[in-house]
Amino acid sequence: MRHITSFLLLFYSLFSFSSQGLEEIFQKANDAYNEGLYEEAISLYDQIIEKGQHDSSIYFNLGNSYYKLNNVAQSIYYLEKAKSLSPKDDDILINLAFARNMTIDSIDPLPKSDLLKVRESLFDLFSLAQWSFIIILFSWITVIFFALYLFNSKPSNKKTYFSLSLLFMAFLIFSFSISFLKSSIEKDVINGIIFSKKIEIWAEPNFRSENLYSLHEGTKVQLLETLQDWKKIKIANGAEGWTKDAVIKNLN
Amino acid sequence: MRNFIILFLFLLAPAIYAQDISFVSKASKNNLGINERLRIDFTMNQNGDNFSPPDFSDFRVIGGPNQSVSNSWVNGKKNFSKTYTYFLSPQKKGLLKIGQATVEIDGEVYKTIPIEINVSDAVDKPRDPNSPEYLIDENLHLVTEISNNQPYLNQGITVLYKLYFKSPLQISDARESDSPKFKDFWNHQIKIPQLKVERGNYKGVDYNLVVWRKTVLYPQKTGELILDPLTLNLMIDIPSKRTDFFGNRVYEQSSRSISSGKKSISVKELPKTGKPSNFSGAVGKFDFNVSLDKDALKASESFQIRVKASGLGNLKLFNLPKIVVPKTLEVYEPERKEKIKMILKGMQGTVEDNYTIVPKYKGKYPISPVSFSYFDPESNKYFTLNSQPLVVDVYEGPISSNNPGMNISKAGSERNILNTDETFRFIKLEPKFELISKETFWGSKVFYFLLTVPFLVLLLLYIIWKNKIKKSSDIENIKQREANKLSRKFLGEAKRKLGDKSNFYNSLELALYNYLKARLKIKTSDYSKEKIKEVLKRKKISDQEINVFIQVIKNCEIARFSPTTNVKMKKDFDQALMIMASIDKKI
Repeated sequence: MRHITSFLLLFYSLFSFSSQGLEEIFQKANDAYNEGLYEEAISLYDQIIEKGQHDSSIYFNLGNSYYKLNNVAQSIYYLEKAKSLSPKDDDILINLAFARNMTIDSIDPLPKSDLLKVRESLFDLFSLAQWSFIIILFSWITVIFFALYLFNSKPSNKKTYFSLSLLFMAFLIFSFSISFLKSSIEKDVINGIIFSKKIEIWAEPNFRSENLYSLHEGTKVQLLETLQDWKKIKIANGAEGWTKDAVIKNLN
Repeated sequence: MRNFIILFLFLLAPAIYAQDISFVSKASKNNLGINERLRIDFTMNQNGDNFSPPDFSDFRVIGGPNQSVSNSWVNGKKNFSKTYTYFLSPQKKGLLKIGQATVEIDGEVYKTIPIEINVSDAVDKPRDPNSPEYLIDENLHLVTEISNNQPYLNQGITVLYKLYFKSPLQISDARESDSPKFKDFWNHQIKIPQLKVERGNYKGVDYNLVVWRKTVLYPQKTGELILDPLTLNLMIDIPSKRTDFFGNRVYEQSSRSISSGKKSISVKELPKTGKPSNFSGAVGKFDFNVSLDKDALKASESFQIRVKASGLGNLKLFNLPKIVVPKTLEVYEPERKEKIKMILKGMQGTVEDNYTIVPKYKGKYPISPVSFSYFDPESNKYFTLNSQPLVVDVYEGPISSNNPGMNISKAGSERNILNTDETFRFIKLEPKFELISKETFWGSKVFYFLLTVPFLVLLLLYIIWKNKIKKSSDIENIKQREANKLSRKFLGEAKRKLGDKSNFYNSLELALYNYLKARLKIKTSDYSKEKIKEVLKRKKISDQEINVFIQVIKNCEIARFSPTTNVKMKKDFDQALMIMASIDKKI
């Protein structure tokens, strides 16, 4: 009898656990983090992600937990993921700076031209989804003004409505082209975080070529192309090279 | 008869003499070491004069010439021999020649055959038959003791040079005449403050022994390595046969050089199997650790990382592994500290590299574990020691934001430094979960649908509107066309009925009204003169023309009830035509 009750209890706890709300798990994980049980917090956060749900804050919290455990690569990986979901969050940017401090490589990024800076700030103004909403908003406004122009008989009103609709049409085309460029860049640029302790970078995809430099765990690289086991990578200062057997985890 | 025999004997004697004269040289040995001695005898069987020795320029004459003469009669036969003896010591190595010695016997000059002597390297135990030498040989030994004849590369070995001697020899002075140079070895001589005589056993016999020299060697090359011999010059007191007045033996002093033999050591290569990749040549038994002098500090203060290896082995002969730290730390060249004692087993102590490091930014800096490998020759195995991972916490200072795409410092984006009071932020507590595999809105069907819908709606609206306008304008056109037609019809009728007063004006009035209907879209119900005036004014017809038009209508109304002339009718008709034409132009 006792066995049956304990079995039932176990079953119930399992059942209740699976039906537990994600928020509750999240809350538990946060409590674990606050008590310094970072491994436990990580496993709880991972449970939420395994259920197919995510959020910049869960990646942020994961990154923080790994930072507390001095796990450089994992910490940077999750903070970068959090940053990709909410690129303008100060908390994420500051903790990412702390995490990047732990990496062995320190790479000075290429200086950016003013034009590039303007472009990037425009791109980063909104996320792609936000841009999409803006485009649709503009398209409706354009149409409304055009309709007003069409159905208005007063010549002076007609003029204002027509110019307004033209203006919003221009906005529409502008935001559409920005989103188009942004999406194509996001699709083409595949970034990754190095998880190997140390990797060697070669000039060509073979060991006969010149050994250019070496990178260490936690450094962000752009993946360009692959040839058999070799991967071509690019780092923030513009240097490129090939590497073999490197563990690089994709951010996309 | 007796006289005859004597005479015969006398006759015979010179013949015997002439036959048997010999003069030969004989060396005690033809092959010898440079530290050995040689005896050479020149023997003749007739007494000769004017003996002249050969040129001994390659030798040093140690003794001689000693002359000895022997006469013997055997079975009535006389044997005579005269010998000159020299003791020689070679002065150089190689094939040396002892030339001809000459002697004059009975007026004739006799020569010996030259002798070739092969002088080789010093041999271990110079043999010499002379008795004091022999005494020395028997009772004095210089022995090289090597702790390990087959060491590994870089494995420490000890070489002891021991001088064994026993009575009756006494050594009064010793000097090193030839010190071995340990080529291909790292060597260190352990100082012996005072020579001590101990008791020792050599080849089963008790001796007095003095350890002359202690050397620690670390072979730096593999293969067969030769240890050069050590040569000592000794002053030895040897008891002579003479006794002094009191019956004690008189000691003679003799100088003697003694050499330890050449020794060869075969140095083994370190095993290739299991050799760690970071092996830097450390052989022995070590402890390894990496430590910090402090693990929490402010930026721009300094801390030290100490990489330390301690133990027994070739401490001076390998490099300590380098530390790997984040590049944002400023690392200065390490300072090497050695605390090494030389003991018989080798070097014992510690070597350490002290790195001074200055962090610039706030944050945590992990110091990666360093691994150190060494070969333990005793267990024939490689060992790898890893240090603990260390973390330095810099708790106060600016934050680096030296990374791409990071634009926290919005004003002046060139700056790499954040505010100094930033801290590591706490986790977020308010999640907004969404599906990971969510389709992006951009580029989705919904997006394109929403984007195109307003334009489609606009197009639809436009088409509907256009249709409506077309329909309504069609109705108006029909009405206008009818009115126009009626206007012309009534105008024609009026022209025909010129003179028929009532019909003429009736037709003219209808023509005018229908004209207004067609041109100005005035409905029949609005045919008041004020309305007409207003409509015409709106169409920007001049007042004069409006007046003319109104006048014509008035005339039509008046003429029905008043007499009129044909001329007046004609004039009204013309006026109506004219005003219609002029309004046509304006509209």
